[in-house]
Amino acid sequence: MSGSSKLIRCEDVAPLLVFYMCDEITSEERAQIDAHLAACSECRAQLTEEGALQSAIDRMPQTADQFESSGVLLSQCRSELAEKLDELAAPKVDEGWQPFGWVRRWMALRPAWSAAALLLVGAIVGTQAIQWLPTGSGNGSAVKVFADSRIKPDTLNKMEVSGINFSRPDGKIQLQLNAEQPMTLTSDEDSADVRQVLTFVVSNSDRFDAGVRLDCVEALRAAVGDEKARAALLAAARKDQNPAVRLKAIDALRDMAGVPAVRDALLDALQRDPNPGVRVEAINLLVRAMEAGGEMPEMAPEAQDSDLPVPAVAPQAVPGSRETEQRILRALDEIRQRDSNRYVRLRSAAALRQIAQQDMQ
Amino acid sequence: MPLSRWVLALADNSGRSGGSAAALSTVTSLPNLDERALVAEAQAGSRAAFEELVRRYDRDVLRLALNLMKRPEDARDVYQEAFLKVYRNLHRFRFECSFYTWLYRIVTNVCLDHLRRRQARPEDQAPEIHPNRMEEGPRDFFDYQKEHRPTLDPERSLMGKEIQSRIARAMERLSPRERVVFEMKHYQGLKLRAIGDALGTTEETVKNSLFRATRKLRSELEGLR
Repeated sequence: MSGSSKLIRCEDVAPLLVFYMCDEITSEERAQIDAHLAACSECRAQLTEEGALQSAIDRMPQTADQFESSGVLLSQCRSELAEKLDELAAPKVDEGWQPFGWVRRWMALRPAWSAAALLLVGAIVGTQAIQWLPTGSGNGSAVKVFADSRIKPDTLNKMEVSGINFSRPDGKIQLQLNAEQPMTLTSDEDSADVRQVLTFVVSNSDRFDAGVRLDCVEALRAAVGDEKARAALLAAARKDQNPAVRLKAIDALRDMAGVPAVRDALLDALQRDPNPGVRVEAINLLVRAMEAGGEMPEMAPEAQDSDLPVPAVAPQAVPGSRETEQRILRALDEIRQRDSNRYVRLRSAAALRQIAQQDMQ
Repeated sequence: MPLSRWVLALADNSGRSGGSAAALSTVTSLPNLDERALVAEAQAGSRAAFEELVRRYDRDVLRLALNLMKRPEDARDVYQEAFLKVYRNLHRFRFECSFYTWLYRIVTNVCLDHLRRRQARPEDQAPEIHPNRMEEGPRDFFDYQKEHRPTLDPERSLMGKEIQSRIARAMERLSPRERVVFEMKHYQGLKLRAIGDALGTTEETVKNSLFRATRKLRSELEGLR
């Protein structure tokens, strides 16, 4: 402390000199310091040093002057900020509501546990929940599933039937075929294929042995209700070269004699078949059909065979199938008179008589 | 040293008068809008208004960051972090102070955070770059060229460089707050009260920080006097 007119002490002034130099003191403090400095040389020297320090500080080159003068750094900063703002301004991808999102996240993080859980769920659903599911048809009936046919058109043309076996108790049929690949067909597993083979054999008499054809006609008897099978039997009855086969075919059509096509075939057999046994069988079936129909036209007296006692009745008009019945009666009458085989003539006369008797009843 | 716009802004914390909606409708160019109108536009979601605010003040922000951090990469981080904070929190700005003050507060706080992190882990930090620091790496070609100004005394010039080097070294010993206060006072030219506002502290605290910083520098320069 020096000087006489000090308003404040030197130790009070010293801390204020920093702020005195940078003008951060009040006017009252400045007045007191000025008064003290005027009387205190030590504090004036300290103020001078403080001024020199301030001057040195002010002359300090700034880092900003070195890096920022070119403006490159500022441009970089602006670009980086713009990119960041673009990222912030970009709309977030709206994933929306994801059902079972937490499950999927859980599964993604735990693949092994997920696999085990899925297997367990699958086992439970497979064993328990399946009974609650509706059945295919909705009424509980089983759905029939047919396997693809094993018989191709080409197979039919190249095959040979090596054996046909009948299981009498249950009517099961087994066909053994020799084709490019030998195969065995059974009626309970390959019913469509069996029927197709039988029909093909019966319809192609020139390719197959008569014995095979006979067996096939016998096998088709059970399928006479099928239109294709019936057509094959009708063709066999008319065209097969072997009379036994034709006879068998006519016999197979016994229950279908009321069908016009069958009746026409019987009439053809009656009038044109060269075998008397076939003709007789045709008469039997036609009579049976007439009896089943219940409408017996009378035979014409002139149609009576001299050898046979035939009632003197003429064919009558019958409502419905009248024309067919008249054809039958005329055919029978014609056979009675002109057939080369006496037994056929007798059987025809007996048929007319039988029909007449039924008509009288 | 010329006063930056920070000084002018922080000297008037009351902020500037804002433009009305009618004024906004008549002003079509964003650079012509005053600060308040620009801030209002930016708060309404205008990216262009925000970018105009950035362009107005980012040079000063970068300069402050460079002087405080002494490393351009750190200054870039401060720049981006500060303006992103402004962008995210602009809706909270209520015009209770000027936008300058608010921005300055954010920048200084970001700088303080960076300096504190650097101080906490000095081993992870690259050395600071100080202009004209004599012991700092190979000198530039122009450093070896003869000074032709006859008024300059070579001895004085050398002494000045030594002083600056010591000041730079002393600056590294300052605490983050002391460094910020010192920078803002001596190189930004702010009043202590404004510095206190920017740092969210009292003028007295800022005063103490500046006093401690000056004493450290003076002790560093002790032998040169």
